[in-house]
Amino acid sequence: MSTDPMAPSRHALARGIFGGVALFLVWELVARGFDLPSYILPAVSEIVARIWTARAALGNAAAYTLGESVAGYLLGGAIGVGLALCVTLVPPLRKVIVPAATAVNSVPVVAFSPLILLWFGMGMTSKIVMVAVAVSFTMFVSALAGFDRVDERSVNLMRSFGASRAAILWKLRLPTALPLVLSGMRLSTVRSLIVAIVTEMLGAYGGLGWVIYQAVVVIDFVQVWAAIFIASLASLAFFGLVSWMERRLVFWR
Amino acid sequence: MMTRPQTDFTAAEAAMTDTAEPILDLRTLSKTFGEVKALNGVDLKVQPGEFVTVVGPSGCGKSTLFNIVSGLEEPDSGSVLRFEGRSVMARDLLGKVSFMPQRDLLLAWRNVIDNAILPLEIEGANRAEARREAERMLPEFGLAGFAKQYPHELSGGMRQRVALMRTFMFKRDLMLLDEPFGALDALTRAMMQRWLLDVWSEHRRTVLFITHDVDEAIFLGDRVLVMTARPGAIKLERKVDLPRPRGADLVTSPEFIALKRDLLDAIEEESMKTFGPNAH
Repeated sequence: MSTDPMAPSRHALARGIFGGVALFLVWELVARGFDLPSYILPAVSEIVARIWTARAALGNAAAYTLGESVAGYLLGGAIGVGLALCVTLVPPLRKVIVPAATAVNSVPVVAFSPLILLWFGMGMTSKIVMVAVAVSFTMFVSALAGFDRVDERSVNLMRSFGASRAAILWKLRLPTALPLVLSGMRLSTVRSLIVAIVTEMLGAYGGLGWVIYQAVVVIDFVQVWAAIFIASLASLAFFGLVSWMERRLVFWR
Repeated sequence: MMTRPQTDFTAAEAAMTDTAEPILDLRTLSKTFGEVKALNGVDLKVQPGEFVTVVGPSGCGKSTLFNIVSGLEEPDSGSVLRFEGRSVMARDLLGKVSFMPQRDLLLAWRNVIDNAILPLEIEGANRAEARREAERMLPEFGLAGFAKQYPHELSGGMRQRVALMRTFMFKRDLMLLDEPFGALDALTRAMMQRWLLDVWSEHRRTVLFITHDVDEAIFLGDRVLVMTARPGAIKLERKVDLPRPRGADLVTSPEFIALKRDLLDAIEEESMKTFGPNAH
């Protein structure tokens, strides 16, 4: 039943690791073989060595960025699912909320960043808000599709058993929507980190985006690459954790 | 226009059924959806413990009839709906009648036991007790050893038995079964019919059973009702005087064949109204 190409599987994981190792090998050979300067392409070994020496700073930056991402992710997820629930329970709201949400989403979320930075400052709050804005729309769309999958005949069956609206919501609507809500959550992990990092590059007091920005200013491209590596590791870990949760919770697929 | 049911009841039987209090009593029941009249003056009495089957051409409003009796839809004003001797609104019947729709509608995230106890859970019963009771019922429903299986691990026939078990666990005197075996292959269906009769004789509930299969209607029922084409009403009512318990050989007996011919003629006549050259 699962036709989602992004759906996780052990096979894909093995292929991914193999592909990564192969890429790093070619990269190392090209960088060393052509003796490329580090502002064009530093060798992988050089980047890894930098990650080790700068581990404390990079670790703090990663924790900072992940903190923003996860907070924004949870907030955005709650807003998206909450809105979808409102639209489902009060159908007339659909005509108001769906166009408004689409209008907000039709502009790349980064376009809002100067305003968000102005309103919420340079600290973590502005990043959390940006991530929440970006994630909430994806989650709204996925959750709405999930709630729309509820079979009216099942609702009628539960009504014939004398079920209240709350019981129908809890025992039927929410579990029916769960698979699509969780696949939306999985897809939103990567997006939340990207938005957090990009916003940090526009103005922040810490985080991986801020580290990248600072390193570019002092022409330290090995540091830029080290931060990028850490960002992709963090992103993979976040994605992996949510995928694992999804597999555990939606066992019936 | 009123369509009076033609009956072949003897006077004595008619007198008997009049004195007993019917569990369900519908009089001039009508239902209109916008421009479309789905039901037009349905008159129907069901006695406690009776197994009544309803056949009719497709789109004759059988499902609308069930939706009203299960409380999901209100009939048009002027319809009389009496349940257990009291005049009621359709919505008063929500939670009072155990209804089984055509599809099994099992919940994918619940195993066999938890699907079966869903109505008890909604009633607020103790979940552990309900589970124990369901465990005891599994063998009777041919589901022994399948307590922890999930719907996607079961065959169509088994899923249907889980749905039936769920309907039986919702202990109501009146059961509405809407083509429960419609999606099954002929062999499984014949086995399920005999099995249903066994379970029914065990539990003695009143059953109102919709089907479009005349053999099934006669094989199962104490009484068969034929509905007219849309707008639906009761066209013909025949008592099935065949002995119980009923076996597979019954369907080739002369009485069965004669009854089947009568019923098929009536259904054919109604189907022609929908599909024939004079259909409007």
